[in-house]
Amino acid sequence: MLKFTRRFALAVSVATISLAALPAMAQDYPSKPVTIVVSYAAGGGTDAIARVFAARFEKALGGRVIVENRPGAAANMGTDVAAKSDPDGYTLLIGNQGPMVVNPHIFKLRNDPAETLDPIAMIADATLVVVAGPRLQVNSMQELLKQAKAGELVYGSAGNASASHVATLLMGQMADIKLKHVPYKGAGPAINDLLGGHIDFMVTTVPSVIGLIQDGTLKALAVTGKDRFAALPDVPTVAESGLPEYSASAWYGLLGPKGLPEDVRTKVADATAKTLADPAFIESLRKDGGVPSHLVGQAFADFMAAERTRWGEVVKAADIKVE
Amino acid sequence: MMAMFENLGLGLSVAFTLQNIFFCFIGCLIGTLVGVLPGVGPVATISILLPVTLSLDPTGALIMLAGIYYGAQYGGSTTAILVNIPGEATAVVTAIDGHEMAKKGQAGLALGLAAIGSFIAGTFATIVIAALAMPMTKLGLLFGPAEYFSLMIMGLVLAVVLAHGSLVKALAMIVAGVLLSCVGADMETGRERMTFGLQMLTDGIEFVVLAMGVFGFGEIFKNLADPEKRDVMRGTIGRLLPTLTELRQNLGAILRGTGLGSILGVLPGNGAILAPFASYALEKRISDRPQDFGKGVPQAVSGPESANNAGAQTSFIPLLTLGLPPNAVMALMVGAMMIQGIVPGPQVIQNNPDLFWGLVASMWIGNLMLVIINLPLIGVWVKLLKVPYRLLFPAIVAFCCIGLFSISNDAGQVIMAGILGLLGFALYKLQFEAAPLALGFVLGRLLEEKLRQALIISDGSMTTFLTSPLSAVLLLIGLVALIIAVLPSMRKSRDEIFTD
Repeated sequence: MLKFTRRFALAVSVATISLAALPAMAQDYPSKPVTIVVSYAAGGGTDAIARVFAARFEKALGGRVIVENRPGAAANMGTDVAAKSDPDGYTLLIGNQGPMVVNPHIFKLRNDPAETLDPIAMIADATLVVVAGPRLQVNSMQELLKQAKAGELVYGSAGNASASHVATLLMGQMADIKLKHVPYKGAGPAINDLLGGHIDFMVTTVPSVIGLIQDGTLKALAVTGKDRFAALPDVPTVAESGLPEYSASAWYGLLGPKGLPEDVRTKVADATAKTLADPAFIESLRKDGGVPSHLVGQAFADFMAAERTRWGEVVKAADIKVE
Repeated sequence: MMAMFENLGLGLSVAFTLQNIFFCFIGCLIGTLVGVLPGVGPVATISILLPVTLSLDPTGALIMLAGIYYGAQYGGSTTAILVNIPGEATAVVTAIDGHEMAKKGQAGLALGLAAIGSFIAGTFATIVIAALAMPMTKLGLLFGPAEYFSLMIMGLVLAVVLAHGSLVKALAMIVAGVLLSCVGADMETGRERMTFGLQMLTDGIEFVVLAMGVFGFGEIFKNLADPEKRDVMRGTIGRLLPTLTELRQNLGAILRGTGLGSILGVLPGNGAILAPFASYALEKRISDRPQDFGKGVPQAVSGPESANNAGAQTSFIPLLTLGLPPNAVMALMVGAMMIQGIVPGPQVIQNNPDLFWGLVASMWIGNLMLVIINLPLIGVWVKLLKVPYRLLFPAIVAFCCIGLFSISNDAGQVIMAGILGLLGFALYKLQFEAAPLALGFVLGRLLEEKLRQALIISDGSMTTFLTSPLSAVLLLIGLVALIIAVLPSMRKSRDEIFTD
């Protein structure tokens, strides 16, 4: 009932403001629902994280938050939508490494995320996991690397330039091995072929295979992050397994269009910080294979710039490019 | 066997609680409505309802979401039969003969057969999931890129029978469909193909957009251009329930469709979408009057409808046994499970047997419910046709646009469907069949994907399609079908088929 009256009061205040023909002031933010754009279709990993975040962010911000899926144009559509929206804080974007830092090296973008978007905070960092299928008789990451040196192994990915693809590219380049890449449309069909023994291994998100790992159907050889992952405590990192420099993860951040009013930006950033500290958020995030991140504002922007350089080199070495 | 009945018993005891029956009913009802509305699909509906499921108990939530999915497959045929617009993309095949039946005053019979066929298919598929989930899972895993490719080649060869009329025109349509499926970024290099620099084409054309455009909007253009033709079906609706004789005549088609659908449903990458096409092709192949296909043959409705429903249901198998979602709806179901703290994968059946078996059992209850919801509704739907077309068509267009927009919240998809609608109308004027185009489109996408994956794995060696026994057998069947088609002695009868 309380919520209803508060909303009602909000509606009245909005109506009064518009009657008086005044522009909505920042101190009223949010006076209407805030849209968080997701560059992928509903049901995917990024969508799951965005929804988990939105549900808690809504409480911290004190206004309705709607997740809007805008898939298309190799996930560059969402970037465009956010970049072109009014910088009033009512349109935000969940950006992940594909469209934010990998795509600029691959596609001719209409809106460069580094120039048109304002990084508010990184919200989640999800490790990937290296899983071997029944065709590959190995028990550890070291064995995989050894086999790959002896003969070309075949790996699947969730798609060209996806996190699962570039993380494997980096691994191949660091270990100086040649790997054969088979792109699939999403992780599902790739895991299917991994289980069927049609491909040797793949790097994928934890939630997509955790059930199969726990069941023993797939062997988890290593996690790609800097640290081990809580739900898979016995699985070493790739760095522990012979590639000390290696780290790769799927990360997700909250961004807005450039030019947000300072007080609106502060409100969004404060609500984000509150959400990231919310135990309920951390718990749901854990189920999606992620941990909250604490890179805020400039630190997040610097991180993105570093990631962009790093993946740019990987992609260039692998010679993926769209004319 | 005993274990299966015990498990089903457990499932029924879960599914038959008042609460779960209620969720099942709600799911089926929403699904039917979503299915009937052209363009509005289960993906958009489920993603909207996902947050609601948070507050429900996991079993009830999944029962409801599953009901929406197969309910939508069910409802999609209604629009296809009555107004020749596929309510769901998968109902494209049903529209071919279903609408012709409606024109002949057999709308009731077509709807009734679709409902009964779907029920039988649903019942059978439920038993398949309960008894054969594991072997079926293994079957799905056998289909790697090479095997899948050969299956598609076999499908292409058999596809030609989809056409009635000129063989050359049918081939041209299949090729055009394959070409349309190539639009968009290359899967391996990301290079854009046939996109003309348009961003809305980068990810290719959605099948829903193609179906809504060519079949939905195309049909509306057609009706507006020839006002006298659309009144043909104003007359009678006919009986709703088929007679025993009619049922007996269709039982074979229903069972064959169910079998095909059950198998294709477990294939990765949404194999279920192939099921109605395969069933249509099969029915036409074995029919003793193939020349009538396309003019309102009941078996051409009951078979594909059963295949569609069976496929929709067995596509739950990879989700339930491996946690792998074969299509977007299943991906949302995975999301719903994760929200509830259930890790999708092989252990669901051990850790949450009540959920697993409850969901399976609810599918049978849901199918029963769909018959109960739909049979009386047929009368209501048919009454809609009494609405003057000048009022009906703006409503259909409006729903199509809402549905198209909801795919990716993008007006570009609506515009694209409008353009494809003009294409559909042009095809009609030039007397080309649109169904082979749709099939070419569906097959083309998988064909390219699997061909390239297979060749990457085999280092470009074509022998990979022959060294795999399964793949070799599938290619052999395709080859035999091709030889039969071109053999001079058979040619005469085929010409009879195609020149009608």
